[in-house]
Amino acid sequence: MTAKALTLLSDLTPPSLERAWLTAPHPSLPIVATCGSDKTVRVYSLTNFRLLSTISGGHKRSVRTCAWKPHVQGESVLATGSFDATVGIWRRWDSYGRAESGDTDGWGLSSDTLNGPGWHNPENQDDEEWRFAVLLDGHDSEVKSLSWSPSGMLLATCSRDKSIWIWEDLDDGDNNFETVAVMQEHEGDVKCVAWHPAEECLASASYDDTIRLWREDVDDWGQVACIKGHTGTVWYVDWEGVDNVPSTTAISGQGAPLSAEWKDQRALSGPRLASCSDDRTVRIWKRQPKEQQVHPQFGSTGIPSIIRPTGTDEIWEEEMVLPQMHELSVYAVAWSKRTGLLASVGADGRIVVYEELFLTVPAHTMSIDPPADAPSTSLRTEWVAIAKLEGAHGIYEINHVAWARRADRGREESNEEVLVTTADDGSIKVWALER
Amino acid sequence: MVSEIQNSNPTILNAADLPTRLQPTLSCKPGVFGDGSFASTLSLVNTIELFPEGSYLSTELDSDDDLMEELIDRQEIYDLVSTISDPEHPISLGALAVVSLPDICITPTLPYVPDSPLRTVSVLITPTITHCSLATVIGLGVRVRLEQSLPPRFRVDVRIKEGTHSTADEVNKQLADKERVAAALENATLMGVIAKMLETCQ
Repeated sequence: MTAKALTLLSDLTPPSLERAWLTAPHPSLPIVATCGSDKTVRVYSLTNFRLLSTISGGHKRSVRTCAWKPHVQGESVLATGSFDATVGIWRRWDSYGRAESGDTDGWGLSSDTLNGPGWHNPENQDDEEWRFAVLLDGHDSEVKSLSWSPSGMLLATCSRDKSIWIWEDLDDGDNNFETVAVMQEHEGDVKCVAWHPAEECLASASYDDTIRLWREDVDDWGQVACIKGHTGTVWYVDWEGVDNVPSTTAISGQGAPLSAEWKDQRALSGPRLASCSDDRTVRIWKRQPKEQQVHPQFGSTGIPSIIRPTGTDEIWEEEMVLPQMHELSVYAVAWSKRTGLLASVGADGRIVVYEELFLTVPAHTMSIDPPADAPSTSLRTEWVAIAKLEGAHGIYEINHVAWARRADRGREESNEEVLVTTADDGSIKVWALER
Repeated sequence: MVSEIQNSNPTILNAADLPTRLQPTLSCKPGVFGDGSFASTLSLVNTIELFPEGSYLSTELDSDDDLMEELIDRQEIYDLVSTISDPEHPISLGALAVVSLPDICITPTLPYVPDSPLRTVSVLITPTITHCSLATVIGLGVRVRLEQSLPPRFRVDVRIKEGTHSTADEVNKQLADKERVAAALENATLMGVIAKMLETCQ
């Protein structure tokens, strides 16, 4: 069932003429940053879909990844990771040009000031508006992904050198970053890092086909889980939103009690993780609630505590393999923190959107058998592909997908979202999902 | 980069024995394409085998707008890659039988999407010796040559022929990783080696 249509709202123009790798929506402003093989980062408006500024001159090779630091007041801070093995930190005052152009929205971004200074004048202002702050040097080879912790205090970076670095932004006004940890357990390129939406817990995906989770225990960062299941490179991971609840549209009447029960259970196991892989699948992983992590052989049997699993170890299990919708590598997934919808893109040029629904039907029609210790059969869910678009960027592979708050004139409600997809030919497209 | 020649006495084919457009077309060997993730196209390769080569090509040409692309068949692919030089001998990959016409296939990339213009060009490489550490470089050279020469609707799949190399899986995984290939293209040392290999291509 792929009942809903994805409608192209616009391309972001002008595009790069080389491969674009990733587009990162700003945490609060209606703008996105796209990085690519032309060694630049392009900042576009989601209000009018035009290029606002281009950040160049910082990296010697492709810019593979970028991420906006959350919770920064009055300023935008962007981290960039490049095949040149370095990470750049860039800053720009949000008020830049505001006084002169007389914008009233406080961001210098209203669509009717297109020709004013600041964001709207890429030709003249680029170089001075973005300030190169610092270069983080440490990785031995290409940086592939980076992610800011929910507080914005920590930056995680990963590389083909198989390592993950965690840096602390000292926020001392002097752009100093301190190396907090270097983790080298992965046995292949680390393709992606993503912070838990609320806690200081990091997920990483790798060329070694595993997903690993990392936490700080007392003073040391260490691996708390190694998740095996994918049979190829894991390209991307994304977390579920903290308050996500599956859709109750299919079970009118029982929605409220089910949602309440869901939230109670969720409080124990925490947000889930979505991953996608060269094995063409998208999978959902779930942490076993601590209470259920029974280790019979180590239970209260008098075995010395030294051989028990450490307190920080977590058991993660595969909850679901999503309906098989891709024929080639799946390069990115995006789990909306607002709607709970999940989108995937990949080498086959498809965009697929999935929705999770509560199930009330008898067990024999369910897609998976309930585990023996399932707490409640009423909390079973299934994922349904609700939209599929073939050849979304023509013949080109799609490298990335992200959800962003809709900001153009067609927006009907303030929480409405768009999908932003980024492709090999440099094109970036903004899509609306039919409601 | 290479301190000592790994295969000092390779077998070299006579130039007159190499396939050209003048010879009757050889067909794909289906069996060699059946491993791992590539299995989904196996049935397709077999289907093609049931029809004369010509009929498959003519249906493919119907969807081509670009006249230039009419020439892209297996022989064309062979002509593009067989003239690449081996990184350690001044001899072509064709003459060393590292690439050969029966080990080249062109198949629809998305077999279940009938109107998709995407085509996958698969090239199986036979290294001259089973432990040749240059297999990755040769594979990369073939991939670069094809990506630079073919229109963007062609996907390039270069892998080591099964049973001909001790670390084939590792090499194949690396050659199939677009991010690693993209990064390699920005590595000046590596690209110097590749450029030298491609010097002998017209």
